[in-house]
This record gives sequence, C-alpha cells and structure tokens, in this order.
Amino acid sequence: MSDAIIVTQHLSHTYQSGPLQKAALIDVSLEIERGSCVAIIGFNGSGKTTLVQHFNGLLRPSEGTVLVDGVNVGSGNVDLRTLRQHVGMLFQFPEGQLFERTVFADVAFGPRRMKLSRREIRTRVLEALEAVGLPQHEYAWRSPFDLSGGQRRRVALAGVLAMRPSILVLDEPTVGLDASGREEFYSYLGHIRREQGVTIVLVSHDMTEVASLADQLFVMYEGRLVLEGTPRAVFAQGDRLRVWRLAPPPLSELLALLRQRGLTIPSDAFTVDEVFAVLQHSGQSGR
Amino acid sequence: MSASPLIDIQHISYSYPAPKGKKGEIQPVAALREVDLQVQQGEYLVLLGHNGSGKSTLARHCNALLLPDCGHVLVSGLDTRDTSKQQTIRERVGIIFQNPDNQIIATVVEDDVAWALAVRGLPTEVIRERVDAAMAMVGITHLRQLPPHKLSGGQRQRLAIAGVLALRPQCIIADEATAMLDPLSRQEITLLLHQINQEYGLTIIQVTHLLEEAALGQRVVVMEQGRIVLEGSPATIFADLERLRALKLAIPDPIELADRLRRAGVALSASAITVEAIAQEIVP
Repeated sequence: MSDAIIVTQHLSHTYQSGPLQKAALIDVSLEIERGSCVAIIGFNGSGKTTLVQHFNGLLRPSEGTVLVDGVNVGSGNVDLRTLRQHVGMLFQFPEGQLFERTVFADVAFGPRRMKLSRREIRTRVLEALEAVGLPQHEYAWRSPFDLSGGQRRRVALAGVLAMRPSILVLDEPTVGLDASGREEFYSYLGHIRREQGVTIVLVSHDMTEVASLADQLFVMYEGRLVLEGTPRAVFAQGDRLRVWRLAPPPLSELLALLRQRGLTIPSDAFTVDEVFAVLQHSGQSGR
Repeated sequence: MSASPLIDIQHISYSYPAPKGKKGEIQPVAALREVDLQVQQGEYLVLLGHNGSGKSTLARHCNALLLPDCGHVLVSGLDTRDTSKQQTIRERVGIIFQNPDNQIIATVVEDDVAWALAVRGLPTEVIRERVDAAMAMVGITHLRQLPPHKLSGGQRQRLAIAGVLALRPQCIIADEATAMLDPLSRQEITLLLHQINQEYGLTIIQVTHLLEEAALGQRVVVMEQGRIVLEGSPATIFADLERLRALKLAIPDPIELADRLRRAGVALSASAITVEAIAQEIVP
C-alpha cells in the first residue's frame, strides 16, 4: 500500500455534555498519505474539527485507533509533547492568539519552549517569516497588532512552522479573510508545501476554495465520512452535495444546469479552461 | 430622481480617530473621502469592495453608528448628527453584522427577537404579534423555543435579522452578514434578503466583497480607498472584469467563463451574470 502518515481505524468519539451523550464521530476510517495535501470538508457540526483534534492528541478516541506516523495516539503512554511538535495545529481565528510585543517574539515563542539555542531559534523564526511572505527586515520588529488581518494570520502560521512540524493541520484557515487575503494565504501554503514537503490537512466548509491545493477531499456529514476522492471526483457529484449541506462549486453548478438542458459535456471538464474549450466548440457547432 | 431618497449622503468624509496615546505619531487615515450617494425607498443596493475600501464605514453612516467629519447624512430627512433623532433613525435603518453572536442577547430565540421591543416598553400583544411575524419572515418559527447556541451559523444570522425586522424598519443594512457563514448558508441568507426586499418592499443595503452576491442587486456601488469608483447595474459593473480584478475582487468561475465565451464570439448578453442566466442563454 501507499505510505500513510495518518491512519484512523473505526474511529468514534462521543462527547459527554451533562447527562447527554453526543456522538461526534462515528466509525471513521481513513488514510492520509505522507507529503500530500488533503481537505476535510463538511458543514458545521459534521465532526471535522473533532476529527483533526485526534491527530495531535487533543482528543482521544472513544473507540477505534488513530495512528500518526505509526504512533498510537490513543494509548496512555504517548508522548504528547513530541507528538505536538510533530503535528502543528493552527486553530480557527489564530490571530487571536498572538500576544507578544513583536512579530519575532511571537513566532519565537514555540521554539523557545523547545529549549533550542538562540542561533537555532533565530534561524527558524526568520525562515518561517520568509515562508509566509513577511520578510524580517520589514516585519520582524513590528507589533503583530499593527498588521492587517491576513498578515496577522500568517504570523500565527509562521509560529507553527517555526516548530518544524511534519504534519500541518489548519482548521478553517481563511474564514473572515477577503478574497486577496485568502489567495495570499493559499499561495504561501502551496509554497510551504513544495519547499518543505510537509503533509497538510485543511479543514474547511468551502470545497471550492481548497480545490486547487488539495489532492484528496474527505467529506464529513453528521459524524460520518460520507465520501472521499479527488476534488474532480467529488465535484462531479453535483447537486447530491447539497444533501450534506455543501454548496457545489459555481462552475459545477453551471455544468449541471447545462446538462439538464440537454448539452453533452464530458464528465472530466473541471477547470474554466476545460469548460471553455468544450463550450466554444459546441457553441460554434450549434450555430 | 423621483421622490426624496430614503438615505441621502451628501459629500461626506470620515477618518477614524488615531489610537489613544499615539496622537501625532500616526496620521489618521481617511476612510471616506467626499462620498455622495442616494438610496431610494425599496431599492436593493450592493456596496462592493475589498477589505479596507470603506464600504462598511459608509454603511455605518447610514444609521448614525458613525457620524461624518464633514458633509451630511439624511435619513428620510433627519440629520444623523441630530442626537435627538438618532433613536428614530436607528429604528428606521437596522443593521446586521458579520458575527450574529454580537447581537444576540437572550437565552431563548423568541425572547431575543422580542428584546428591542420590550426595552421600548411596547404592549405585550404588540410584541407577540411582531415577534411572530418577524420569525415567520425569516423562517425560524420552528426554532422559537431553542437557546441560540443550539442554532447553526445561518440560523443565528436569521435570528439577528428577525430581531431587526421586529422593529419594523424601512431599511436593513447587511454588513458582511454572510462572511462567516458556509457557502450554502451564504446563498440562503442572500436569497432571504432578496425575498424581504421583494415581498415587503424593504430597502436593503448589502455590504460584501463577493461578486456573486452583487449579481442579484438592483444597483451596485464599488468602493476603493474611501471613494465610490464604479456605480451601475450588475450587468454594467460585470462588463469590465479587468477593472474588478484591479480592485482586488475575486471573479467567480462562471462569470470568467461567460466573459471568455463572449470574447470568443458566443452570443451571450451582458445580463447573463448568474449561473441560471448563463445556462439559459447557452442552451435556450
């Protein structure tokens, strides 16, 4: 088989809230390949955040197992400190967690706790800032609170990168950013992926947004894994996605409408370029 | 233009005050520069622009949340600077924000809708009637007894809208009200605002950075650096994608596709700017 870095087998998680029990994850089995970029997609409450919180031991399985690079995260004697350096996690609205007086100090916080040498800390911080597009000469000594929302979020990402994780988990990393902030964030993420070969796990409710980056999508609904596949294969589901409270990407929606109206469009047409080629051709032949 | 506008923005400028203790060090940045805009009763207006373009600042001048440094804002003839009129102005022009949690107060849905009415001391029967009507308008009647934290993001945004509707305003401003929602809820809230506009004749001002939300508006006003830089019907605004890109707005794939097809000689009208309209014109 392939080289999987994260494996869950029949993973279930039940929250206890007062006298009530809520099954947040039900029998989830999946494999994430080393060095790939995957996205966990689902509506609010589908269990996507609960799922990824198992990857660095924030939650332990109620049933089933979670293996991260061969380590059983559910076992009692797992070394959480090492695990969490290995699996970097960026939470929702991470800019809310910035607290230091300078960008440098904030990014250095993690490496300092790792008791690295000053020189090593400095190297890592500067590299991390470079990777997220905040060159040190311009940004390192500014207060993180003077930066824009998108920049602050990238400072938070740099803080995680400076720990040199081999797996990067990002929970809704672009919620609340505008179009250019999003594009910037994803372009730096793509860059980090190519340069550092980290495995990236994105959590999102917007699959259109992650389509260009992710190799594989996992669709969650009401605690279950209901679909997995390449973005192309998942988007081909069209209106069926609405059942899981997901909006089909606008272009897939257009294709579905055109097919309904009797136009034959190959099922592998996916990007604007591909659809353009098909329609231009059929437009000319139709006239 | 016909009758006097509901909201009349006359040549206003505004700068956010410099943070305390830093006065003199930081020049206040002009958020609005000499803006003129009239909004008619019953209109569906979209204020479009990227973050920091001034669209939210402008919207917040429409119900006296912010007051202009110079120029005037009149809401059905009342000057927003007149402190004795501000309560009336805010009843006429309600606003909902990005995060519905910031305007949800009570512990039960229907109590929350009733809140602003109860504070104003309206009789119980009136409150009951208005709360029921407002919940029905946004489709949350079945959730009336639930605590707000049990609702989804989209449902909570509906609750925030109901709370504003209960005051029987003439205009609702949706200030990036869909930005924190998932794509499906985003579409649903935009459709709801349209429905409220169509069925009840309420004026809607939708503030957004998403082109797809602007496509359904009657009029689109695009802002950049505190100024109105483009204004017109969605079809005219969408005709120049290069310009919109330069204004840091993301072009949805179907719009991009339609534009390329037009250039390639496929007969598509300028008003084909929604997925449905494009499909209809490609295969009549």
